[in-house]
Amino acid sequence: MTERTAKGVFWGGTLSSLALFLALTVDTHGQFAALTRADKLDDTVVAGKRVFERYNCNDCHTILGFGGYYAPDLTRAYTRLGADAIRRRLAQPEVAFRDSYRKMPNQHLSPAEIESLVAYLEWVAGIDNHDWPPQDSEARWKRSTERLLAAAALSPAAALVQQEGCLSCHALGDRGERQGPRLERVGARRSAAWIGEYLGDPQRLAPGSEMPGYQHLSAAQRQMIGEFIVALAARGGER
Amino acid sequence: MTYRTQRVAYPYMVVALLLFGLQVVLGLWLATQYFVTVPQGLVDIFPFSTARAMHTNLLVLWLLLGFMGATYYLVPEETESELAFPRLAIVQLVLLTATGVAALVGFLFGWTQGRPLLEIPRPLDLLVVVGALLFLFNTAVTMIRAKRWTAVQASLLGGLVFLAVLYLFGIPFYRNLAVDWYYWWWVIHLWVEGAFELVAAAMTAFMLIKLTGVQRAVVEKWLYVELGLFLFTGIAGTGHHYYWLGAPSYWLWVGGIFSALEPFPILLMVVDTWRDVRQRKGPMEPRLTWVYLVGGVVIHFIGAGLFGMAHTLPQINYYTHGSQVTVSHGHLAFYGAYVLLNLTFFYLAMPHLKGLPLGRYDERSGHFAFWCTALGVMGMSLAFAVAGVLQSYLERYLAQPYMVAQVPIRFWMAIAAAHGVMVLVGVVMTIRHLLTLRAPAGGGEAAAVAGAAVTLPSAAGK
Ligand code: HEC
Ligand code: HEC
Ligand code: HEM
Ligand SMILES: [Fe+2]
Repeated sequence: MTERTAKGVFWGGTLSSLALFLALTVDTHGQFAALTRADKLDDTVVAGKRVFERYNCNDCHTILGFGGYYAPDLTRAYTRLGADAIRRRLAQPEVAFRDSYRKMPNQHLSPAEIESLVAYLEWVAGIDNHDWPPQDSEARWKRSTERLLAAAALSPAAALVQQEGCLSCHALGDRGERQGPRLERVGARRSAAWIGEYLGDPQRLAPGSEMPGYQHLSAAQRQMIGEFIVALAARGGER
Repeated sequence: MTYRTQRVAYPYMVVALLLFGLQVVLGLWLATQYFVTVPQGLVDIFPFSTARAMHTNLLVLWLLLGFMGATYYLVPEETESELAFPRLAIVQLVLLTATGVAALVGFLFGWTQGRPLLEIPRPLDLLVVVGALLFLFNTAVTMIRAKRWTAVQASLLGGLVFLAVLYLFGIPFYRNLAVDWYYWWWVIHLWVEGAFELVAAAMTAFMLIKLTGVQRAVVEKWLYVELGLFLFTGIAGTGHHYYWLGAPSYWLWVGGIFSALEPFPILLMVVDTWRDVRQRKGPMEPRLTWVYLVGGVVIHFIGAGLFGMAHTLPQINYYTHGSQVTVSHGHLAFYGAYVLLNLTFFYLAMPHLKGLPLGRYDERSGHFAFWCTALGVMGMSLAFAVAGVLQSYLERYLAQPYMVAQVPIRFWMAIAAAHGVMVLVGVVMTIRHLLTLRAPAGGGEAAAVAGAAVTLPSAAGK
């Protein structure tokens, strides 16, 4: 190889890659608005992003998979936890995670900061990013829950969940609201016994939570709901 | 050392080494927090996030100071002239070090930009820019005045200008998180897989010319090819970070294909080094410097080339993204590519800067320190890799919640930390060795006679 060819490799390689990269950058900017639902990116959401940066949340938590790997990814935190559950964790992490082996600092966020963070996490959860991360894929939860409900349509526990209005706060399949955690997600983390006990007195296990108590249900009924919720958890490798 | 003003490089290297030590201490504390439950009271005042910001910023700061010191050592020899403004170089060092220390102390009190690796608050960013401009000005004026251009100089200056320009993309506040990460990677990826590689290739070429005595024309010809391939694969290869951030799906193709080619230029660097070492014109003396040179090139290939390749394809990255797999690669790549590059250069330059005859030094404890650090970093990266694969499987594939999947991972983080202790021991010994270099035990005289006989080391001494 002569020095002339070597220089040719340098300029040819650099400029062709640069040209492609810049052209795609321009095109990507044209598509960001639709892919990230930029129309919903209002001042509260932006304020939430500023709060997120002010308290350096990102050096413990990943978001979109980037950042510190010390704590749960927050891309779909809104999808799996819901607004009220996020509020409690932000307001009193020392209480919310008192039994955990890993702690989150209490940074004394103001109520306004917490509201903007909730709005921010809600907006982030809507970004169309090829359904990453897989463990938080709503599409996957919905499919597996549809299958389960179709098989157990008349299950007494499923009926109780309907009757007692759990879905006015919790998401399940493609129904429900987003105040509390998605029920499929709860099942992946908790045992049936724990859930049964929790339903009897949520304040004892989760002080300050917005979850109402279900003392009027019998222990057996509560245990049954617990078993139902655990059965909802997405199982290994299920698509 | 032939030029008086090369001496400004020495304080740069000393500061860089001290910051390196502090970086490793903080790293060990980070790993510990993964397997020990830190009480809430301590988490509230010194959280993981703050320690991580310090750990990563220290890395970037000391590597950059090392590159700058190396540049101030290299440019006079390449241009065959004195540095244009040696005092300004010292002012610049004081400015950048003070800015860095202010940033680190600021983190402790919650003063931060709050974006990973770019935590330095915006007002301090301006000081960083001033420091960078002083540096580029000093280097460029020296080169222009000397009117002697070499490919080594050109790629070094090109890499440094590229690096400075990219830093600017990390400064603004971005309203949209996806756009934010899009440009975040212009700093992070285009630094480590673009600008830094140019600097590394230039510094390696310079050291090869000095150490092996192989003809400059040969080394520089291959330098062009390396640089061309680095930039061809590396620029469009940025796309391997755009898979899951809300960008269009063509990035899966572009990022996957271009980044899969990124190991080739690194491999070429290994081959070039190997060829030059075999065609060297003298003995491999001092041996430790050669160990660092070859070790660096090889671990650069393993950490960046192989460990990078392992998770760069979108089909794999879908599972490994945001897990300890990234941590494993990040550590081995940074260590192999840029930590060892800096240390090799320090071992080449510091003996001359200290005026040791023919650049010979007493190597004894240095060898142990090298192997202790290198094996420690390798072991640590392997432990992170196991933790990462486990995490990908449990969390991404079996869909376990994060905190459930972390339980078995805590064990592997303890293994990583145990290797981290080895790294700390090795690094402290390396720093001590470099800061207290002495003439070889046999006396500088004997070495000088041996060196004069083969004439090469006097070339190395330039
Ligand atoms: C020192 C590290 C650290 C910092 C800083 C931090 N967190 Fe956390 N966070 C954690 C840990 C650890 C958990 C998980 C605890 C558990 O589940 O046991 C957590 C949990 C959460 C959760 C619940 C996630 C889930 O899926 O259960 C949310 C939401 C959250 N953090 C938001 C934030 C926000 C917003 C900030 C910034 C204001 C922040 N965190 C700062 C460590 C941190
Ligand atoms: C008024 C709204 C509301 C209703 C109605 C409601 N929940 Fe909840 N639930 C919540 C909120 C909010 C949380 C999160 C509490 C927290 O941890 O902050 C929660 C938490 C839970 C948890 C614990 C999740 C965990 O892993 O910590 C379970 C289990 C649960 N709900 C089940 C139910 C069931 C079953 C019903 C119906 C019988 C029900 N909830 C009705 C709001 C509600
Ligand atoms: C010396 C060169 C390199 C260094 C220092 C380096 C360093 C890093 C670091 C620190 C990260 C993590 C950034 C973060 O999210 O905080 C990273 C991510 C990554 N690197 Fe490298 N890298 C190098 C070369 C390469 C090469 C050559 C490849 C591919 C062949 C590669 C592939 C990747 C990929 C795919 C990721 C993203 C992981 C993820 O988050 O999914 N790297 N690198
Ligand atoms: Fe990259």
